[in-house]
Amino acid sequence: MATTTLTPGAKAYERSWVLDWLTTVDHKKIGVLYIANAFAFFFFAGLLALVIRTELAVPGLQFVDESTFNQAFTMHGTLMIFLFIVPVFSGFANYVVPLMLGAPDMAFPRINALSFWMLPLGGLLIVSGYLVGGAAASGWTGYNPLTQEQFSPGDGTDLWLMGLAVVGTASILGSVNFLTTIFKMRAPGMTLFRMPIFVWTVLVTQALILLATPVLTAGLIALFIDRNYGGSFFNPSVGGDPILWQHLFWFFGHPEVYIVVLPALGVVSEILPVFSRKPLFGYAAFVWATIAIGLLSFSVWAHHMFTTGVVFLPFFTFMTALIAIPTGVKMFNWLATLWRGSLVFTTAMLFALGLISMFLIGGISGVMLAAAPVDFHLQDTYFVVAHLHYVFFGGAAMGVFASAYYWFPKMTGRRLNETLGKIHFGMLFVGFNAAFFVQHSLGIQGMPRRIADYAADAGWTEMNLISTAGAFLIAASMVPFVVNVVTTLLNGEKVGDDPWEGNTLEWATTSPPPTYNFDRLPPIRSERPVFDLRHKDDADLHPEGYP
Amino acid sequence: MTRLAAVCLPAFLLTGCLFPPEPMTTQAEEVRTLFLIIFGLGALVFVGVEGFLIYAVFRYRRRDDRLPEQHHGNRKVEIVWTVIPTVIVLILFVTSMFTLGDISARSDNPIRIEVEGQQFSWTFRYANGYTVSGNPLAPPVLVVPVGEPVRLSLVSGDVIHSFFVPAFLVKKDVVPFGQGQTPNELEFTVTAPGTYRGQCAELCGTLHADMTFAVQAMDPTDFEAWLATAASATPTPVASIPPDVPVVELTADNIEFSVDELEVPAGKPFVIRFTNAEGVDHNVSIYDGDTNLFTGSKVTGPDVTVDYLVEALDPGEYTFICDFHPIPAMTGTLNVH
Repeated sequence: MATTTLTPGAKAYERSWVLDWLTTVDHKKIGVLYIANAFAFFFFAGLLALVIRTELAVPGLQFVDESTFNQAFTMHGTLMIFLFIVPVFSGFANYVVPLMLGAPDMAFPRINALSFWMLPLGGLLIVSGYLVGGAAASGWTGYNPLTQEQFSPGDGTDLWLMGLAVVGTASILGSVNFLTTIFKMRAPGMTLFRMPIFVWTVLVTQALILLATPVLTAGLIALFIDRNYGGSFFNPSVGGDPILWQHLFWFFGHPEVYIVVLPALGVVSEILPVFSRKPLFGYAAFVWATIAIGLLSFSVWAHHMFTTGVVFLPFFTFMTALIAIPTGVKMFNWLATLWRGSLVFTTAMLFALGLISMFLIGGISGVMLAAAPVDFHLQDTYFVVAHLHYVFFGGAAMGVFASAYYWFPKMTGRRLNETLGKIHFGMLFVGFNAAFFVQHSLGIQGMPRRIADYAADAGWTEMNLISTAGAFLIAASMVPFVVNVVTTLLNGEKVGDDPWEGNTLEWATTSPPPTYNFDRLPPIRSERPVFDLRHKDDADLHPEGYP
Repeated sequence: MTRLAAVCLPAFLLTGCLFPPEPMTTQAEEVRTLFLIIFGLGALVFVGVEGFLIYAVFRYRRRDDRLPEQHHGNRKVEIVWTVIPTVIVLILFVTSMFTLGDISARSDNPIRIEVEGQQFSWTFRYANGYTVSGNPLAPPVLVVPVGEPVRLSLVSGDVIHSFFVPAFLVKKDVVPFGQGQTPNELEFTVTAPGTYRGQCAELCGTLHADMTFAVQAMDPTDFEAWLATAASATPTPVASIPPDVPVVELTADNIEFSVDELEVPAGKPFVIRFTNAEGVDHNVSIYDGDTNLFTGSKVTGPDVTVDYLVEALDPGEYTFICDFHPIPAMTGTLNVH
């Protein structure tokens, strides 16, 4: 199946296995570390989700008290966003971006290692609140003045602030590294408009991180000063402005949504062409749509603040609705890529199609929330919870699993078992929709988010029970996934360098690739160099000027 | 359970759980109409895209090893499908702005009520001075007339809350703005008599879920009569504690509690009626060893009394303490039996 027969020979100097992983500056090993670390936090934050859903299954407080509940959803949100979904894509990007560009490594390998190792440190700081009398409990958005010392005493909130500042700094370092790599390390022939779409989405994502994260970090530091050194940035009782915090948080927080979801859209744009055996329809439009989403994401933050009474509603309604246009373009380009294709339904492809169908729902509910009067009803209800999970889970996390199944053979030389993979997908897909689709209804009927309990006569009991059952099915779907990863690592099917007949340069080297990645590269004359190489004898399929 | 969910999901769609509650104010009717327009547009997009996706999945399954035709794009169709979402977005924007104008309109002579949110209940103050308060166990009731515009002034002295009555379809945050800023206002005209459930929608601390209230709408003549009677009944209780909840009293003066032992029954909520006699910050919190069970809000005297409502405790010995002065003089034993 593989058409490449490259056997790069460079070997690293010998070290013990443990020391090698702890001190590595190889982008591929750092990528794997990122992914492993992210999944550790994913499983922990997933358990917290089960705590939340168990408590909400039926009315009344049976399982945890209110304060444990508030800590659970605060930690669930914080860890899922800052320590799973963003870093896991940093991991995949770390692994494949240099490969896709034909580069030997990231531009700054040591900074790469530094920005990874700050992550577990920051994550543990955040979680360590549990050891000192209670973790932060004011939601992942940390609204003021609730997060002020007088309303949230205790060290948990301070540790949360410190941990987030560390994680934020790590991602700023990573972003400089990615941007430099993408602009300066491309192989000869790899022009910007021949870069894989995944690299484009990483480029835009990292630019967003560079511009947005410092704003959050400034807010975190100001809040830390408020809490510990008598500052008055956000505390109204001493002349501060609680709404200023919301502006700072969401000026970061909305680009963050695209930081999370753009790489997943990029992964889909790699997987669909490979398993449809067609080029991505409208490559240039896709690139411009990605750039447009990135730019627009800085002009929509206050749509999270429609009910505060202090934002100019028409502007933010208009700008938010505009984002639907580039997103719609992407959606249509994907559908056109499938059109008259030759589709094969590998697990990676199933997750990619799952992403398209679920992210669509998140997009539609997002447009509903963009209309300020509709948001007046839905803001802070379970509708918002449903919406964000259709974007973050139905969108981004589906992309994580698609990436895992797609690139696992590249990282290990072995393919994950397809049967277990399809069981994983089926359980996850059904569980996800059971858990979150009903939450739209709950929100429309008026159930607020972040409540530990609800009245038995509110009419929310059945839907909450379904949602909880769905959450447990999602958890159960992780069993075939973990079993699959472990058994494949030990004894999986060896599939060669290019099992999927890929298009992009990571498939032009061995699986796993050696240190520094390539001995030589195929000619790069289009966004599909490996496809061109595979069909080098068929002149009809060649891009112009193919040697 | 999966099968149950699989059966229920379409059932929810059919039975209308995705439609907003019956609107009970003139503003709510406007919002509901807008919701239905946008929901309809969204449903069209949903059916179109998912339908195409399912069609493509079945129609274009790989049947042989031949390479399909390599289409890179088509400028014309790409322009068409950029225009389609643009049109949808413009419809959405224009209709939203019309609705926004309608529901933000202010009437000349509304009935004004001040609504104060505090951890973890509400206080409603009428123009004639009548005040209704409540607590998590006895949520307050906001009485309003039907058919007349009511304008709430939303104030908070602690954290951000949000005034949310699902049947009104419009919520507004209750923000502790700094000095000099006007409080948020929310105006509505209830269309039918009845009692409507409401609760705080913005996370405001531990007992956020218990910060509920009700709105009771009655005929204007009944409302006038109610307000007159209510206001003449003096004095308004500071907080309507349910009759069967035991009350224990505690005073702080000279940085010292009046007693070092309190007795309460086990298994039921109770109230600590706490008086701070001096101009120093105090509170009362309850601990079981190092575990915090209850934190009372800060009280600054002189001579200010609050009722701390404490959830039911299991039998045993607990510690009550002032978090601001954790010294032996401000520490005591709480016996629960």
